[in-house]
Amino acid sequence: MNINKSNPLLLHPLNKWMKKKKWSWFPHQIETFQHVQSGSDVVVFAPTGAGKTLTGFINPIDNLIKLKNFKGLHTLYISPLKSLANDIVRNLEKPIKELDLNISFQVRTGDTTPYKKQKQKQKPPNILITTPESLALLNSYENAKEFLQNLKYIIIDEIHTFLDNKRADLLSLNIERLQTFSPNLQRIGLSATLKNKQDAKKWLCRKKPKIVSYENSVLPKIKILESKERIPWSGHMAMYSINEIYKEIMKSKLTIIFVNTRAQAEYMFKNLWLINKKKLKIAVHHGSLEKNLRLKVENNLSKGLVDCVVATSSLELGLDYGDVEKIIQVGAPKGINRLLQRVGRSNHNLSTPSKAILVPTNRFEFIEAKAAIEEIKKNNLDKIDLKKGSFDVVAQHIFATACAGQFDINDLYKEIIKAYPYKKLKLNEFKQLINLIQDGGYVLKNYDQFKRIFQLRENKNIYKLVNRRETRKYRMNVGTIIENPMLKIKLGTKTLGNIEEVFIQNLSQGDSFIFAGQVLEFQSMKNNLVQVKRSKSLISKIPSYSGGRMPLSTNLANSVRALLAKSNMWDLYPEQITEWLKRQKNISKIPKKDEYLVEQFPRKKNFYTVIYTFAGWHANQTLGFLLLRGFKEFNYKPLGFVANDYAIVLWSLKEVKEIKTILNLGLLDKHLDNYLEETSIVKRLFRDNAIISCLIERRLPGMEKTGKQVLFSSDLIYTVLKKNEPDHILLKSSYEDAKKNMIDYDRLREILKKIDKKIILKKLTSISPLAVPIILEINRENLSKKETDEYILEDLENEILKEANVLSIN
Amino acid sequence: MYYQLINFGNEEFHAYPDKSLYWKRLNTLIVSDLHIGKSISYAKNKQFLPPYDTKEILNKIFVSLDKIKPTNLIIVGDLLHDVFSTLSLKDQDHKNLSQYMKNTDFIWIKGNHDKNIQIEGFKNFTNYKIDKLLFTHIPIETSLFQICGHYHPKVKISHRGKTIFKTCFIHNEKIFILPSFGILTGGLDIHSKQISDVLGKNNLNIYPVGQDKVYKL
Repeated sequence: MNINKSNPLLLHPLNKWMKKKKWSWFPHQIETFQHVQSGSDVVVFAPTGAGKTLTGFINPIDNLIKLKNFKGLHTLYISPLKSLANDIVRNLEKPIKELDLNISFQVRTGDTTPYKKQKQKQKPPNILITTPESLALLNSYENAKEFLQNLKYIIIDEIHTFLDNKRADLLSLNIERLQTFSPNLQRIGLSATLKNKQDAKKWLCRKKPKIVSYENSVLPKIKILESKERIPWSGHMAMYSINEIYKEIMKSKLTIIFVNTRAQAEYMFKNLWLINKKKLKIAVHHGSLEKNLRLKVENNLSKGLVDCVVATSSLELGLDYGDVEKIIQVGAPKGINRLLQRVGRSNHNLSTPSKAILVPTNRFEFIEAKAAIEEIKKNNLDKIDLKKGSFDVVAQHIFATACAGQFDINDLYKEIIKAYPYKKLKLNEFKQLINLIQDGGYVLKNYDQFKRIFQLRENKNIYKLVNRRETRKYRMNVGTIIENPMLKIKLGTKTLGNIEEVFIQNLSQGDSFIFAGQVLEFQSMKNNLVQVKRSKSLISKIPSYSGGRMPLSTNLANSVRALLAKSNMWDLYPEQITEWLKRQKNISKIPKKDEYLVEQFPRKKNFYTVIYTFAGWHANQTLGFLLLRGFKEFNYKPLGFVANDYAIVLWSLKEVKEIKTILNLGLLDKHLDNYLEETSIVKRLFRDNAIISCLIERRLPGMEKTGKQVLFSSDLIYTVLKKNEPDHILLKSSYEDAKKNMIDYDRLREILKKIDKKIILKKLTSISPLAVPIILEINRENLSKKETDEYILEDLENEILKEANVLSIN
Repeated sequence: MYYQLINFGNEEFHAYPDKSLYWKRLNTLIVSDLHIGKSISYAKNKQFLPPYDTKEILNKIFVSLDKIKPTNLIIVGDLLHDVFSTLSLKDQDHKNLSQYMKNTDFIWIKGNHDKNIQIEGFKNFTNYKIDKLLFTHIPIETSLFQICGHYHPKVKISHRGKTIFKTCFIHNEKIFILPSFGILTGGLDIHSKQISDVLGKNNLNIYPVGQDKVYKL
């Protein structure tokens, strides 16, 4: 690295330690140090392995040494994960202990004991490493100001994970609170590299905002698994390549296999075991597994005691697993950032490239994988869209504020709108949220004598909590992460993990399913515990977790379209893919980058319309529902639809003649409200909103109420509210959440705005090669209910292929 | 309104999708577990449910009374959620109630939630016998046929890979349990121990309540 004489870090207290370790300072560390010293808030973008954690601590440590014997809290470090917080402590410990610096540091998360928390309050450390939720709790204590008023620095780690979700909203509000307590507070953000760096800066920085960026010049080596087998037309389980994946594991010392859903993780794990002739140590890791099981896997991973771990996003962030040699991504990458994050889990050494193999599970995914590799070469990352702050999080924050003591609503409002996500929060919206915390905020005033916060008689702007007992309720409900109702799985007396209640409801006694890599038989459910025993059954269900599906990023979708259109590239693909695309070109058409191909053909008495939008699963799902309504209006008698990331297929009794008249922006404006009304999307999100805003209480261990009952009663509340007070702020909030998350409103709107001029309509006599994958999904969806095995699917696939007259491809 | 015909205790009843039961021979309407004022009772613990339940429940019952014009209205317990609930009955509600009481006898069988509460115009009973039928909130030891409430039964229905819960009317040979007529009232699975202890597990007649129709399983 370029160390010159003017490097101010050569005088830094840590320099001695760096020298001892034979390490040198990175340019971005020098730059950050200088910016922060001159009073700037800074966001640092650097890849893993570039000393990011240390970068954050350079200024705090320097300042603490200069201040000599500083008493009290000096620096807060916010980590997205509890496990990561512990890791940070271990990293910080080394230089501080070895140099015998007079700096105290501790961790404070949900896992910290109440005793230790109490001690921290009495005698705070100089550096506290914590999470957004624990920070919110800290701010809600009566003596919060006293505790936090001398704070000099706040460091936000992995800031890119905080930009587009409700946790970001919560964090932003609490940072502004800290700034109020301690006006001189400086902010340092640490991030993986990002496309829209300016947005991250806007979100975090207030004082002389600065960006520091360090790009890794060593690109990762990513390739697609070269398979001798036939890549399936559709499906998501990659069974065709299981033997080849196994060979790849054997070739490397330590491999992480990333999959996209928990169900895929269980499936992949089980099937690797079935062929595990070399007795490799293979483990599985996902968010539903019991904490101890997860910790055991993580521990074995960091010590290199396993050969392979099959994981979901649960292992994306977190500890440094230095020995991981290879990443295998099974299934669609879905987004560039995500793929890079995963690939970066291998080989935490900047000078050697990370190695990864992509395993597409179907033909579209092959194109997607190819496109992702191209984009990574060009360093074309996904944009992370900053979100507008959610109302329910403000409500929770108001409650927290009241717990800390009486407050002036004008001061609070002014503080809240300093937070970037809430710049545009209107005063009347804020007042509605005050009312929501006060008594539910209903037009019908029935609860005057039961208020939770009340206005002082002498000053109507000052609100106060009605009694201290309420603080306990706030503390039980803090945070923005709402899990689906889950049940504990018990094998004998051992807890294996949590499973979605919805899945268990569909099981009968004796049914078997795969969980934690074992085939289990469902025995009974009592007191929210699911009793299971080991099963020898070969037919088993795999729990489907509703949160598992994330849509294809717009960036990658555009790249897929571009790549598809580049026919001069096709010859570089495996023969089966090339043939597939060539057939499509002959029979129908390959859409150009900005075209929207629509194919129509008759099949088995019905009429099929396939639209290739590449809009991602959520937007396509929404479009499918809207088109059903549009088709109904034109009396085409639609029967159903299926959507995936790339396309939508609808089938109807009558020929759809006016597709160009239906498929445009008018469709969205006309039918969206109806759609939201009829499906349970808003209703489901209302539950999250009601819990986050503390209108109803969260299910907690030991409480009699089951998750199902919470769900049930929030449904009732939704129904009553919708009928009597459709303008209630929580309904508005749920509706906005739906637009953003579940239906991908903005993305769909963008597409529909321009689609009518770009439609390429192809009337065909039968199914096209490009349509085969999605048509197969129709049948798969219907078949899965009957527990049909792969043979039948194979059979069906052949039947459809014959129909498409493309059987010769294989 | 469509109704489902139910034979119980050698009598014919009509089960309505609004969760009321009609005994035609005696022109008697039967409802249970209204839990009026549940919202206000929760509000005292700072759980602010939408305060419209009382209004909606009363409207629902008035609509039914207007249509059927019964001689008797039997409430099989838990008319009110608790002592605080009376706060949610406004003057106008009392006026409306006394209007309806001119043509209909209101027979209020006390439940566990409202046993110590009085409302003007209502006749209070611990249970009420007509012929071979006994109306009581919770079933008791008796040779009579009993019509009860209390349990808020709901049934789990699994079909084509989907599972739903539906409020239901349910009875065996001797005991009939009404669903809750309330708005913010939850339900209890009919296979839970509490209900099995009362009805047993076999020979159950189950009638799930749909949007506009009461079904028969």
